[in-house]
Amino acid sequence: MSVTVDLIHAPACERCADSREVLRRVAQTVIGSALEWRDLNVIEHLDYAVSLGVLTLPAVAINGRLVFSSLPTPDQLQRALEDPAILDPSHGR
Amino acid sequence: MRREPAADGPRKGLVLRAAAPESSRARASGARASPYTIGKLATLTKVTADTLRYYEREKLVRPLAKSPSGYRLYDEDAVHRVQFVRHAQECGFTLAEIRGLLTLRGRDSACCNDVKRIAIERKLELEARIRNMKSMSAALDRLIGACDREQLPVDACPILLGLDRMAARK
Repeated sequence: MSVTVDLIHAPACERCADSREVLRRVAQTVIGSALEWRDLNVIEHLDYAVSLGVLTLPAVAINGRLVFSSLPTPDQLQRALEDPAILDPSHGR
Repeated sequence: MRREPAADGPRKGLVLRAAAPESSRARASGARASPYTIGKLATLTKVTADTLRYYEREKLVRPLAKSPSGYRLYDEDAVHRVQFVRHAQECGFTLAEIRGLLTLRGRDSACCNDVKRIAIERKLELEARIRNMKSMSAALDRLIGACDREQLPVDACPILLGLDRMAARK
């Protein structure tokens, strides 16, 4: 099963640029080849961001669900990507 | 309660005391020597004196100083700040956000991207509210559409019954 991680950011967000590669590498390590990493400029994906409930930037969504409303630390992202309840919301129902 | 002079132009011959932090910027920008009373500032910016006092409590616009009699005195910078606050309110910014924007404006390390991010976040919130309101409007359309006979007793009113059903589903 593929895992989509969306980093939704303001245009030219320097904080995101600094952290993006570190976070992407963490996600790659946890998920492997099933990872689909997307850097989304919020201006170009405003409807999608609104549909996720994004109110603050940057934000991170996993498999189409808003998980972080600010930039996570690498540890936080790793824990989220290892959490079955986040990867598959129907898990445990 | 002592009342400050309501209108009139800059008061001459007043000795300033207890300069507020904005004063140094005002002096640097060549602010006029004769300060404005609260009434004059209200007239110039088309807000009420009460609003200016509220802005002061919210730390948005502070007087440059007070006269020996305790009247608030403002400089030209206050005119620009009040106009800035009003325009930002028209764009949907909250007073807390406007305070943030004013802080960014005075901070050398801030850049346009900081302001842009705040503006985008405000737009995201507005878009979310529009989306919710459209959803509420659609729900009302369905309820109104369900009511095709206006003469029913109120306990058979399709709108009230529809609201009951919606409440039961939650």
